[in-house]
Amino acid sequence: MGLGKSIGKLDDYYERLAQNKAGKIEPDHVDKVLGKLRVKEDALKTEIAETLKVSKKERLEAKLDVVQKQIQRGEWLREQIEADRAET
Amino acid sequence: MIRKLIVPIALSLLVLGFWAEPDLQEIAAGVAIFLFGMMMLEDGFKLFSGGLLEKILAKATASIPRALGFGMLTTTLMQSSSLVTLVTISFLSAGLITLTAGVAIIFGANIGTTTGAWLVAGFGLKVDIAAYAMPMLAFAVVLVFQSSKYMRGVGLVLAGMGFLFLGIHYMKEGFEGFQEQFDLNRFALPGLLGLIIYTLIGAVMTVVMQSSHATMVIIITALATGQISYENALALAIGSNIGTTVTAMIGALTANYQGRRLALAHLIFNLATAVVALVLIVPLVQAVDTLSAAVGIAQEDYALKLAVFHTIFNLLGVGMMLPVLSRLIRFLEHRIAAPRSDTASPIYLTDATDDFPEVAEEAMRKELGHLMQNAETLIAKGLNLDLAALKTAPDIAAVVEASQSPVGLDYDLAYDQQIKPLHAAIVEFASRVGLGDKGAPEAILQRIHDMRDGAGRVVRAVKAVKHLRGNATRYTARDQGATTVLYNAIRAEIARMLVEMDKVRNEEPDRRSALWLDEERVQAKRAYKDTIHVTEALIRDGSLSAAEATSLINDSQYGYEAIKDMIEACKRLHTETETGVDEVERILSLDEDETEEMAMATRRGDD
Repeated sequence: MGLGKSIGKLDDYYERLAQNKAGKIEPDHVDKVLGKLRVKEDALKTEIAETLKVSKKERLEAKLDVVQKQIQRGEWLREQIEADRAET
Repeated sequence: MIRKLIVPIALSLLVLGFWAEPDLQEIAAGVAIFLFGMMMLEDGFKLFSGGLLEKILAKATASIPRALGFGMLTTTLMQSSSLVTLVTISFLSAGLITLTAGVAIIFGANIGTTTGAWLVAGFGLKVDIAAYAMPMLAFAVVLVFQSSKYMRGVGLVLAGMGFLFLGIHYMKEGFEGFQEQFDLNRFALPGLLGLIIYTLIGAVMTVVMQSSHATMVIIITALATGQISYENALALAIGSNIGTTVTAMIGALTANYQGRRLALAHLIFNLATAVVALVLIVPLVQAVDTLSAAVGIAQEDYALKLAVFHTIFNLLGVGMMLPVLSRLIRFLEHRIAAPRSDTASPIYLTDATDDFPEVAEEAMRKELGHLMQNAETLIAKGLNLDLAALKTAPDIAAVVEASQSPVGLDYDLAYDQQIKPLHAAIVEFASRVGLGDKGAPEAILQRIHDMRDGAGRVVRAVKAVKHLRGNATRYTARDQGATTVLYNAIRAEIARMLVEMDKVRNEEPDRRSALWLDEERVQAKRAYKDTIHVTEALIRDGSLSAAEATSLINDSQYGYEAIKDMIEACKRLHTETETGVDEVERILSLDEDETEEMAMATRRGDD
């Protein structure tokens, strides 16, 4: 799974959290964003199923790929937040 | 000239009055302390903004009865219909409440303000009110010096109430002393003439003090000490309702058209109520006598009877205006028309909206949305595209390909008229809110700053399309082979971005996410890379001249920059505001490097 800069961004978040410059992330906060990404995922899947033009289908599939990567990152983030919660 | 003379004349009259009648000093000091208390009360309640006040107001205006009740309750608590009116104007200007709800709040505030008369007549004049004021002020000072914003707010509210009580006490003492020296009752005017003159005096007193509440307190204390007749006191009370409309009018001077509509509603309501009260004065006085006798108010207790009258005539006004509320709203909308939608004056950013942080943020968000919609229309026109047709098109690439006719447009003029004024207003507003000592939460200030940055990106996007427009028109007006195909590809990418932004805008806030736009940005990046790649290949096989290729490479860059900037602005517009969720969004959002990485990993389609 490509996490891109998510690890660095999470470290930055923890740093700002320690300095009281960031609000604490709870698992349901991640769920809320994941829910919205899944809305987009479902919409893209529906659009792909209804699309006949090959080039358009390919473009939509590429977009679906991006949103699914973001969902994977979101799920990874949720695990990190859960693990952090269990430690504290 | 007259304005410059007002202050010296007022001060001279006070000096003359104090010299002629020393007891006047105590009355004047009482009024001054009372007004000072009201200012502290307002400042105290403002410290509860940035969350509480706005949230309550937003939720409490869902229906006319709720808005009416809210106006009554808040005015009763704050003892200031002026503050409630000004808050309502600011909410209305920011587009947070409807005009109907705003008018209903004002109606409620007029009923709520009558509690002030009850407080003074029923409590202030019958007990040693100063005895309550002293400990309140002592407690208040301790709280005012606390670091917590809300503790300071409680302290200021307590101090405000303490000063209100103290002011009432000094006014009462002053009138009692005054009575021994001087009898104002000899100026009492019976009949119609008295009614008219004292109504005017009441209105002027309220305009001068900017508070109908203060006027009522003076009237009641003067009445209780026998300085004015009951009949004239009734006229003064009616006049105070007319005078109070000036506060709303002044507040609306800096508000937008909605704020001005509300101020006009306030004026119509109070004038109509006053006229009806003057016409029906005899039956109203009889009703007051009957009601007072029924609830056990003594025949000679004119102060309490005045409070009954004040309540009855304000209730009468609300009862009279509520059935014609929808007609009143239609009249206001007709009388003060909304600015034409194609003009670029800021709609939501007004001086009336920057007093309360959450209102300021919402006004900023709506104005950025306004700027973006103007920019989207201009960008589409600049590329000879019909935005409305694109939004409903099943095949965007086909619509773009078919859009060959140049749109007659002075792009620079359109930029000056539709983009620049809004951008300037947003920058100025953000600076004003950022500089002001209004105790705005850091997160709100940051989001306002981000939205200002978003507005700057919108301007950059519009300018990028300006650079692109010449060649896009030149190479797509008729088929010129590969160059036309590539320019159409650039136009199509921008068109898709515009359509995606519209989809995000029209989606329910609890379903949409600014992250959705990352997918479009990845596709735009991929398309940009493809264009560069194809252009280089066409140069190598001699299909493109060096000049054409240079234009294409530059214009592809402009196209991508425009998409990137518009998407970033859109993300700032629809960013999550809930604490914690905003951090999740920040972590998952793709930056430029990640966009490039994903673009290289995805395949490209044409539509």
